[in-house]
Amino acid sequence: MKPHPPKYALEFLRWFCREDYLEEVEGDLMELYDKYYKQSPARAKWKFTWNVILYFRPEFIKSFNSDQYISPTAMFRHNFLLTYRTFKRYKTSFFINLVGLSCGIACALLIYLWVNHELDVDKFHEKDAWLYQVMENWEADGGIRTEFATSGPMAEALIEEMPEVEYTTAVAPSSWYGFSRLSLSVGEKNIKAAGQYVGKDYFNIFSYPLIYGNKNEVLSDKNSIVISEKLAMKLFNTTEDIIGKVVAFQHEQEFMVSGVFKGIPHYSSTQFDFVLSFEILKETRPWVTSWGSTGPLVYLVLKEGTDIQQFNDKLKGFIKKVKHDENNSRMPFLQRYSHHYLHGTYENGVQTGGRIEYVRLFSFIAISILLIACINFMNLSTARASRRLKEIGIKKVVGAGRKTLIFQYMGESILMAFFSLILAMLVVILFLPHFNQITGKELTFGLEQKPIVSALLIAFCSGVIAGSYPALYLSGFKPLGILKGKLNASVWEFWTRQGLVVFQFTISIILIVSVWVVHRQIEFVQRQSFGYDRENVIWFDIEGRLKENTDTFLSEAKKIPGVINAAATSHSMIKHNWSMQGMEWEGRSPDDKTTFQIAGVGYDFIETIGVEIKEGRSFSRDFGAESEKIIFNEAAIEAMGLKNPIGSTVNLFMGKKEIIGVAKNFHFESFHKELKPLFFVLLPHGINKIMVKIEAGKEKETLEGLRNFYETYNQGFIFDYRFLDDDYQALYVVEQRVSTLAEYFTGIAILISCLGLFGLATFTTERRLKEIGIRKILGSGEFRIVHLLSGDFTKMVLLAILIALPLSYFIATWWLESFAYRIGLKWWFFMGAGSIALLIAWFTVGLQTVKAARINPIDCLKDE
Amino acid sequence: MIEHSLGEFEELVLLMVAAFHDKAYGVLILENLEEKLGKKVNISAIHVALKRMEHKGFVTSGYGGITKERGGRRKKFYVITALGKKVLDHQYALRTSIYQQIPKISFG
Repeated sequence: MKPHPPKYALEFLRWFCREDYLEEVEGDLMELYDKYYKQSPARAKWKFTWNVILYFRPEFIKSFNSDQYISPTAMFRHNFLLTYRTFKRYKTSFFINLVGLSCGIACALLIYLWVNHELDVDKFHEKDAWLYQVMENWEADGGIRTEFATSGPMAEALIEEMPEVEYTTAVAPSSWYGFSRLSLSVGEKNIKAAGQYVGKDYFNIFSYPLIYGNKNEVLSDKNSIVISEKLAMKLFNTTEDIIGKVVAFQHEQEFMVSGVFKGIPHYSSTQFDFVLSFEILKETRPWVTSWGSTGPLVYLVLKEGTDIQQFNDKLKGFIKKVKHDENNSRMPFLQRYSHHYLHGTYENGVQTGGRIEYVRLFSFIAISILLIACINFMNLSTARASRRLKEIGIKKVVGAGRKTLIFQYMGESILMAFFSLILAMLVVILFLPHFNQITGKELTFGLEQKPIVSALLIAFCSGVIAGSYPALYLSGFKPLGILKGKLNASVWEFWTRQGLVVFQFTISIILIVSVWVVHRQIEFVQRQSFGYDRENVIWFDIEGRLKENTDTFLSEAKKIPGVINAAATSHSMIKHNWSMQGMEWEGRSPDDKTTFQIAGVGYDFIETIGVEIKEGRSFSRDFGAESEKIIFNEAAIEAMGLKNPIGSTVNLFMGKKEIIGVAKNFHFESFHKELKPLFFVLLPHGINKIMVKIEAGKEKETLEGLRNFYETYNQGFIFDYRFLDDDYQALYVVEQRVSTLAEYFTGIAILISCLGLFGLATFTTERRLKEIGIRKILGSGEFRIVHLLSGDFTKMVLLAILIALPLSYFIATWWLESFAYRIGLKWWFFMGAGSIALLIAWFTVGLQTVKAARINPIDCLKDE
Repeated sequence: MIEHSLGEFEELVLLMVAAFHDKAYGVLILENLEEKLGKKVNISAIHVALKRMEHKGFVTSGYGGITKERGGRRKKFYVITALGKKVLDHQYALRTSIYQQIPKISFG
């Protein structure tokens, strides 16, 4: 028997020695060993070990950086080819991944565009960092109410008394006039447009570039008007040489064009077509010059470097100071103008949220959908790992390191992601117009740098995430085991795959519940009884001749067939218009701060919109001195604590009034808000709207009749009416958009999850075909096989339901809290969502399992 | 001539490689050196010297055929190069020339 040198010494040598030296060194050592062995075996062994130790020096130790340098392009080509072949061979999983990832990336891109736009709104003003709005906190009804409006004189007072202020302006926004409802005319041409009254420094504060006119001077004359390029084209068919031309406003006043501004960008939250001087508003509406009334918005630019905290502290007592009234409850403060759009909700004087919540919500949805798509890729790649075992084994034997393999699989998933990106971009371009319609935005997806870079980044990230788990998993196989055909499917791996499916379905179920709740709430809000009948009620402004002859117009209008009733009103019935504090009544506590909404109306108004009178009577021409009477709603009576309201008197800024009736509560604001105290009074002047109730089913004829009558009666004005119901729907436009979007995205999330489940089911049934064949031969029925195959998936979905329901409960409760009037969460919302998920999962898996269960056992058993 | 420097032990090994032209390999060099020097030499030292000289370009190497000896491991044979021979000649000439300068000294 040949003598063997010490085993451990030899192994040690082999471990550390450079491979190109090893044979020589080992050979020489062996020769010496053989020689010494003949003399003394023990000494030979010792000598051998000692020599090995002497070799342990830098010249002989190998580099432990195992990866050899390989030409990157060759490696790339090789990987690319393999990827291409994999895609070609496993077409189903390729398409599942492609569809899933491109849907995911497309959603992420659309949401990215939307979020980006939301974040950009109002940030384009040059002085954005120092551009503030004056807001007011009011102590009212036992808390603090935040108002966006302040008093007209605030603008001038601030610039006079606060040295930190650079520019100020008071603004009467276009929303006062229902946006596009003001008449402008040049000669015979008549146009309705949105306008606002602004201070002379308006264009210094806001960066709306002027094409003609100097921004310091365009509004210095109170009879000037600055119009947009678009409006100029409409009025004059040109934008040139129109400075100094005359435009008639409401057929009453005449203004001279002093400037033309470029169209307002769509990422501005303020939209208008023309501006007039605030000075002229002071003449037509003198109340805007009073500290006692609020309504105008005041914006200002602070000098750079002003400490906003200090400024706000100074501002807090400003109104008390100018009004010399220590008990005044109004506390003005500044809010960044561009902050306003996303953070516009206040609760008890503290900024609580606003649109930013939707921005966060959709960012979350985008990430969830991408994750779901990535998980599909992970699951399908790892599930199909057994198909690639030989490839991995051979590669490892030939010397591929783990890093090379990770690189290869990552490359595969990133390539997949970029394929999907191309498809996703097509989808985005295709669906953008529709998406814009839903969101009410003008988003574009062009070849600008920012969206393209973001798109690439999104694709790359999803590629890395999708590839990470398969890459680590596949590269970790032991080559010896896999070449022998043994794949130890570890428990951990099994659980990971199941866990990922559970995660996908958890997200899908949360989305289903959320969409359901949002949908129900919006439905609730729209179907809710308001306490009045807004169906078939139209309204239009009192303009021109109607102003003097409102009553004549109304009595004539009522004779038109199809008109049920008509009345004048100053209250829009859908939002806060006019309110007051400081009413006096019997038994009022001295520090009472109840705010009352004022509905100044004409005769028949209560009847026209169908508000019910609970006690007493409505205003009627049959009684005298009706203008000294008042009608409260139930909420007001409750707030005042009156036991027998009818007949008692109250004192307010309009004088003493006798209560003649109590109206049932009705909603005159968005359902986000609590019902507030309100009263009706007859107003002789200052009423600005007419509401007409039309017979159902005769809308078209009646409106035609009204139009003819209106346009002959009020020549020069366009009969521009709106349905009250449409205006009401517009209050929930944000919720409706969110609801529609969320429905789409949930659908996509479910679709992607199901694609993944489908892929997984296909694969599992394929692998178990032999088992199914044997079971069938042994007499198992089709139903049992379907049951067997769906069992695992059912468990996963059930687990997902279990996790998702409490989570979705919290999310739904949180969202509903923003409504003062909301639906209750019913158990069947959650059970319903769970059942939907389960049914969809069963259906998806069923497509495969039923097919597998019906297979003829001969087909799957005849091979081998 | 720093790159052509040759240590004392290296010189001995190089001489051995030159002497056993075509047949020089680790164990052979070891045994002959031990015999000439009359003391134990370590095999690893010889390998280090060979590798260094190979790196400097004084020797080249090549594998022999597989034999039954050495557990089937091939021998690696070393051959002196022209440069190695030149360095050796230079070294020898240098020593001889200095040696010849030694005056006749009598040590009594």
